[in-house]
Amino acid sequence: MLRPLLLLALCSLSAVVLASPPPVSALHRLADETYWHSLGHYERGKLGGWRSYVDDDDFFLAEGGEQDPAAELAATLTALYAPATQGDRHAQCVYPARSRWLREQLNLTDLPAVECSEFATWYAEVAPHSAVLVFPAAYLNSPSSMFGHTLLRIDQANIDTQGSPLLSSALNFGAFIEGLDNSILYAWKGLMGGYPGLFSLLPYSEKIGEYSRLENRDLWEYRLNLTPDETGRMLEHVWELKQIRFDYFFFDENCSYRLLELLEIARPGLRLTAQFPLTAIPADTVRAVIDAGLVEGIDYRPSRERELLARTEPLETEELNWVRQLADDPQLLEQSGYLELPAERRALIQDGAYRLVRYRVTGEERDAANAAQSYRLLQAINRNPPPRLEVERPILPEYGHESRTLQFGLGSHGDRAFAEYGLRMAYHDLLDNLEGFPMGAQIEIAQLRMRQYEGNRWTLQRLDLAGIRSLTPVTPLLRPWSWQVAAGLERVPEADQDRLVGHLNGGGGFTWQFGDGLLGFALATARLEHNPDFGAAISPAAGFDSGLLWRNRAGNLLLEARGDYFHNGEVRRRISFAQQFELYDDIGLRLGLERSFSHRAEAETEVQLQLRWYYY
Amino acid sequence: MKRILLASLLLTASASAFATAPGGPGCGWGNMLFEGQRGLPSHLVASITNGTSGNATFGMTSGTNGCSTDGALQYNGKPMLVLGSIMTELSEDMAMGEGEALTTYAVVLGIKPEDRAHFASVTQAHFDEIFSSADVTAEQVHAATLAVLKADARLAQYVEQA
Repeated sequence: MLRPLLLLALCSLSAVVLASPPPVSALHRLADETYWHSLGHYERGKLGGWRSYVDDDDFFLAEGGEQDPAAELAATLTALYAPATQGDRHAQCVYPARSRWLREQLNLTDLPAVECSEFATWYAEVAPHSAVLVFPAAYLNSPSSMFGHTLLRIDQANIDTQGSPLLSSALNFGAFIEGLDNSILYAWKGLMGGYPGLFSLLPYSEKIGEYSRLENRDLWEYRLNLTPDETGRMLEHVWELKQIRFDYFFFDENCSYRLLELLEIARPGLRLTAQFPLTAIPADTVRAVIDAGLVEGIDYRPSRERELLARTEPLETEELNWVRQLADDPQLLEQSGYLELPAERRALIQDGAYRLVRYRVTGEERDAANAAQSYRLLQAINRNPPPRLEVERPILPEYGHESRTLQFGLGSHGDRAFAEYGLRMAYHDLLDNLEGFPMGAQIEIAQLRMRQYEGNRWTLQRLDLAGIRSLTPVTPLLRPWSWQVAAGLERVPEADQDRLVGHLNGGGGFTWQFGDGLLGFALATARLEHNPDFGAAISPAAGFDSGLLWRNRAGNLLLEARGDYFHNGEVRRRISFAQQFELYDDIGLRLGLERSFSHRAEAETEVQLQLRWYYY
Repeated sequence: MKRILLASLLLTASASAFATAPGGPGCGWGNMLFEGQRGLPSHLVASITNGTSGNATFGMTSGTNGCSTDGALQYNGKPMLVLGSIMTELSEDMAMGEGEALTTYAVVLGIKPEDRAHFASVTQAHFDEIFSSADVTAEQVHAATLAVLKADARLAQYVEQA
């Protein structure tokens, strides 16, 4: 405590140009203000004191400023009075938000007048007037996207007369990745904080392309009621974060958390970040922003894939054949068989074909042959334009259940009764309450289940690191893969009692849609198991996993059959039935029945009734 | 704003002797129609890092976003970058006669709200001239659009204003 005081005193003395230096007590009071902590991205350290989320010496003016808000404030104040000749390097230019706040708080009327041409040009170019929180929704075939992402769109004053946000800027916080090394390494480093996080500001049109075209994610745009002043204040601070590195962690210090911090700077007094001490799952942060009364309207922008499916949805089988044929060979536009179709059906077919052609080359380099085909179809569309495409607006993603789950179950395994207690940190499995989630997608991270058998015997039933399943139905036009991966510890049948084994498994196959809300899937699987009863440290198995997922009035029903055929001769098969009853938005009741067969143990039946509370 | 834009368009058009990518490589403005968009190698990676591929850009102009602003290639960056980056969408909208990209382009050209519907129908009718092949660049599209506007009694004013 002494050191910052001393520093403060010294700094104030050194600021000789100060007409009447603000009293040290005033500075100290300011350094305790929440807003100053927000500007420095300070958080309470684990062992007391302060630490900043910013991981970059360039951001701080004071020696040790990342742990000392008071010293940083004093150093900033001194720097604001530096000779104006520094131009764009002057603290007033580098830290426009700090400057404004200190000027207002301390009534600094005698600051040197500095011309900040770089900042002024940039600010005039962005011309911030209002802001929109953008939430790219989950994409079914990428369950990891269920975590979502958030970014801000910064609009100019004339956004309403412009008719579109294509001229707006997108403010994005993400991991900064250089070069293109291995995918798995990327993912791992992204999770574990191996990349620095940076803000970037780029044309919103690029972000639309990235999400709606490359990743096939719908975009939800939540218009915020920030005033022009508030938006401007936020952008002034964004300028301070130019090229400034934060740590980036997927679960907590992520895009959504950083954006909440910015909103707190835009509107002093908002308390958003405090709600997310452990994890900041984007959908939850969207809910927090809505609950804080910041949202004044919601727009929806469907992905390119959804548009393709919506356009071809009313077509008959024969017409869908035409879509495929035209996409392969636009010369058929001239064929008499095609021209015999009614003009309004052709309008739909060729628009569908064009969308399919574009969809197929998503993410690829420009290809002259494909461009020529696309152009040919576009000409046909121009001569016979289809009606405007209306895409039905799905249920808002923030209406989905909360992300953390507590589970309490009662059941019997063979002839032994048990109670089961579970906690899942995130997020959603195939049976969980479906509203706001895509059907057939599952992502579970960190799940623990403990069992208490009769006689108060406690066992660890399972510990899942991750479990991802993606069941995307094939359509007449698209043939996506379905796949799953999982890893963790689980119980498998053994002669005396169930054994806890480590496992890593995955599978791939296809899913078919049999009707509204009825999916059937068939996957070939592979499994690596560490089982103390097996001779080898790691035993491989091949197998299958197939089933039916039915969306009914009570909830979801899953019928599933799985088999694992081990290299060492063990064969393990399971058939299971489970039905979830969606009692309330955040409470579900699940009935499960499972019968398992093994060469090494008697066949066993397990029944369980489980209460699931999505609580956080 | 528009005046600067159009003046810069002309400048750039006259500098089209630079056959490759005016403004430098990576500057959207020399893009051809149906230019692909590349992203991170997988959904998993993209959704975990939320990063943009090796690009921590932080500005709309001032030499960022891959566009050099030196010499004769002075331009009002943002609208021009947008035209380069939305060209495929613009071609779709123009073919059908409506859409966001078309409205945006009308705004960039300074076309008043009451003339935008007319602009949409004129450019739709002249789609083949404006997008004359699968290989047009943003520059050519813009020049062709101006030619079409010039021939229209109501829209010619927007060319002359430049």
